[in-house]
Amino acid sequence: MNNRIKEFRARFNLTQDELARKVNVRRETIVFLEKNKYNPSLKLAHDLARVFGVPIEELFVFEDNDPK
Amino acid sequence: MLYISLFVLELNNIIDMKRAIMIFLLSASVIAGCWMWLYYGNEELNTTNLLTFGVIILVLGFAVLVGIKRLKSANRGEPPKDEMSKKVILRTAALSYYISLYLWVILIYIKDKVTMDTEEVLGTGILAMAVVFACCWLYFNFRGVRSE
Repeated sequence: MNNRIKEFRARFNLTQDELARKVNVRRETIVFLEKNKYNPSLKLAHDLARVFGVPIEELFVFEDNDPK
Repeated sequence: MLYISLFVLELNNIIDMKRAIMIFLLSASVIAGCWMWLYYGNEELNTTNLLTFGVIILVLGFAVLVGIKRLKSANRGEPPKDEMSKKVILRTAALSYYISLYLWVILIYIKDKVTMDTEEVLGTGILAMAVVFACCWLYFNFRGVRSE
């Protein structure tokens, strides 16, 4: 699963710290998400999508061979 | 309502800071305990003692690192735990437990080969478990916790 968080964050002119505060996580979590080193929970994915005002599938790119 | 929210946030921040300060105090007390044991126990500084102190310092270094991290987080007003940090701790605990099982088997094997007191074996095991936990935490903290 890939994501476009970095792209959207730049588009909305938000820092990692600001985005972390908006979704109530640590900045570290945003760093790991942007590096694709962490798969968020459905709740966090939903919160992030809501901050950017886009559907989840636009923010997170699911691939057919993603592990279950 | 806003004042109450701010008060709760401030209270949370103080609690986080207290936890970080507790880590520093605990580390200082361990160092003091080691020094007292060495100084008042008239222990000689042989290789085994030096090695033990080296490992203790390593574990304390890790604890101080965690303390500094928590203090910085508290200053930034971040939540002390979030879903990723909880997952990191969970994976760390699972992996370190698994490795520790093998560690004890190895220690029991070594115990038969060299002369070691029961206290020494237990002390070494506990210290090694702490090192394993620290290494696993560092591993997951740098590698990340993806689902696969």
